[in-house]
Amino acid sequence: MNDERFFDLAMKVIARQAGDAERAELDALLAREPELRAEFARLQADARVAKDVLPLANAMEATAGEFPAYARERLQTKVRQTLGHPAAKQKPDQSLAWGWRWILGLAAATAVIVLVALPTFRTPSGPVVQVAMLDTVGAVRGAGTNETEILKQQWKNSTVQTFDQTGPLENWETNWPTGGKMTAKVIYDHAAGEVRVLLHKGNKSQQKTFVIEQDLATTLQQASDFIHAQ
Amino acid sequence: MNPSDLHALQLGDETAWDAAFDWLWPTVFAVAQLKLQPFLPDEIEDVAIESLEELVDKVRTVKSVEELKPLAASISHHRAVSLLRERFAKKRGAGKTESLDAPMDEAGHTNDPVSETSPFAKLEQKELAERLRRSLAELKPPQGEILSDFFLHGLRYEEIAQKRGVATGSVGVYLKRGLETLRKIWGRNENN
Repeated sequence: MNDERFFDLAMKVIARQAGDAERAELDALLAREPELRAEFARLQADARVAKDVLPLANAMEATAGEFPAYARERLQTKVRQTLGHPAAKQKPDQSLAWGWRWILGLAAATAVIVLVALPTFRTPSGPVVQVAMLDTVGAVRGAGTNETEILKQQWKNSTVQTFDQTGPLENWETNWPTGGKMTAKVIYDHAAGEVRVLLHKGNKSQQKTFVIEQDLATTLQQASDFIHAQ
Repeated sequence: MNPSDLHALQLGDETAWDAAFDWLWPTVFAVAQLKLQPFLPDEIEDVAIESLEELVDKVRTVKSVEELKPLAASISHHRAVSLLRERFAKKRGAGKTESLDAPMDEAGHTNDPVSETSPFAKLEQKELAERLRRSLAELKPPQGEILSDFFLHGLRYEEIAQKRGVATGSVGVYLKRGLETLRKIWGRNENN
């Protein structure tokens, strides 16, 4: 009796496809070689797993069925509420940040937020521009420095500050200088893939979010144009 | 779907989501249908829609586009099972007399929709999604098809060989390799 024959007999018995002769053959085999009983039990368990898993796996590959039209607007509303722009106050998704760390295999619990914060653009008639970068994984990826340089190129003479949590950034966002001069805060949010611009003058505030569709430098230029248009 | 589509989804791009809804709908619907058809067929569509809503919530946790469909399936499965548990619990609590017995398959095995012995029973949503993704990736054709032919459709070796264009003697080999693959992915929890 070879292994192949035992396996085929076991499969047929488990699937209730075995005839009397095959069932008797397997019974005799198990009586003669008791160590095969454990293997038979294991195959029975495997078959139960297969019966549970295969329907779900097959369902995943289903292609039939049309998405109901009435549900589309409901789901698009959900998309806008959850992911939509502008969403200046939307915090970066912490679970995504954890996912990055997991991928990178880094156990370091401290993510890094690099923040550039300095009035960098002052002209007699222009607004004060403060620039910040929020990047929860920039330091471990090594990308933070390069992105800081891009920010500096857009708003020369910027100073870079580093934070490791969102709280300080939120404080920074709401900390406006006194006086009636217009101030712009530019926040590059790496995780969200966007650049947010907050404008403040007197008691009036305005905000706009730029999604990074091409590259950071291009988006920063769009943000700069927007600020100067105000 | 491709990686740039995932980025668009994570940014809330409406067009990308329209395409994703069309792409994922058959999966979430079929998975919900698996569990709910015998008991709550009127709820299948609602569960499928709610599953896509939950996927929107979770899309920023997804790291590759290959994870989307397994995650959608996992969400739909968990939602369907939760609904069944909730409804069954209400029936029991209300002292109603409707039969809650799980239907039996042709072989006389119960098909309990909320079985605690299922390999899915104790898996978290993301873990289930990951194992489903691996199952599809690692069951090399025609292993998955032959396993389904044998265990789900009750075909005999000879019928499978004819259907799949393989030698009858190879059917057992495919079954063995397929079961080994599933065993590697799903393991066996003796406590289940």
